[in-house]
Amino acid sequence: MNPRITCPHCRTRLLDGAFNRQKLVPCPSCRTLLEIEVFPALFRGVQPGESAEPVMVEGESSCFFHPQKKAVIPCASCGRFLCALCDCPLGGEHVCPTCLETGKSKGRIKVLDNRRTRYDALALTLAVLPFLITAPVALFIAVRYWNKPGSLVQPGHGRFLLAILLALLQLAGWAFVWFMA
Amino acid sequence: MPDPAYQRLTRERVSNQFVAVAAPRISLWLGSDHLLLVERMGYSETCKRFHFRDIQAIIIQESFLRTIWNAILLTLLGICLIGLVASVLLGAVTAAIVWLFLTVLVAVPATVNNVYGPGCTCRLQTAVQTETLGSISRVRQARKLLEKLRPLIAAAQGQLLTPEEASARMLESVRGQPPVIS
Repeated sequence: MNPRITCPHCRTRLLDGAFNRQKLVPCPSCRTLLEIEVFPALFRGVQPGESAEPVMVEGESSCFFHPQKKAVIPCASCGRFLCALCDCPLGGEHVCPTCLETGKSKGRIKVLDNRRTRYDALALTLAVLPFLITAPVALFIAVRYWNKPGSLVQPGHGRFLLAILLALLQLAGWAFVWFMA
Repeated sequence: MPDPAYQRLTRERVSNQFVAVAAPRISLWLGSDHLLLVERMGYSETCKRFHFRDIQAIIIQESFLRTIWNAILLTLLGICLIGLVASVLLGAVTAAIVWLFLTVLVAVPATVNNVYGPGCTCRLQTAVQTETLGSISRVRQARKLLEKLRPLIAAAQGQLLTPEEASARMLESVRGQPPVIS
């Protein structure tokens, strides 16, 4: 693969003089000011993928998915034997494609988890809204989704607790108004 | 309490300031071996991970953000100053106080806009994608990010390149000779 850095404005390929200067330098073509920091990974060649070796000796362990291929490693999750082709290295472990797929769909593999719903923020918003229906809904959401994984970067149950507290206060307020009326 | 696994690098920022309500809010977080770009839209959160070993380049492009805000804010400031001077000359004390308040209200963001320095668009390039880091909008902020990332990327990829080395390798690769990494 050819390392390629282009000017984001005019798409001209940049060749020299513009890299790692730690200051803004003009693009030779369109004069847009650019500061480009390139790292060694840009010049690293593409690693060829592993190919699986066929089973040569009778009785040799073979891959669960490809019985004619030699097993090289067991899956860290299900223990099935895997050939080099089926071995998926993931965060220091080796898993099979099936476990990878299952782990991703069920959110068990944190590294592959890239989408979350922030039920805690939703419950808190509902708890703050001053309508009769929103407080019970906030309470329901807080209890129902208490164990669901929240934000990746701001986890914790603080917002759920605050939502429950506000929802209860709001319900108490509504009850007080009803009794007074 | 924030997960100690992630350290906040930038504050949340709307990706498009002119349609702030409908645009996702973007922030940047530092993980142990990767950079995490978090996009929040309503009550859902989407993340993109950029492992330090895969980052090929960070490109900062100067933008017109500061100029645009300056044009808007200085126009408003001009109007406020005209109003202030006119009301002082006419002796309208209440109007002068209102215009003074408005002048300060516009002067503060105008000053902040210039203190922050020139605007920029920051992009991160890997072998398979180029992603705009939407939460970075100023050159100074982008440089701070680079300062933090350099040692981490060096730890993952090896010694960083000097300007001469980077240019030489780029030229070598164009000539069709595979560059050698020591």
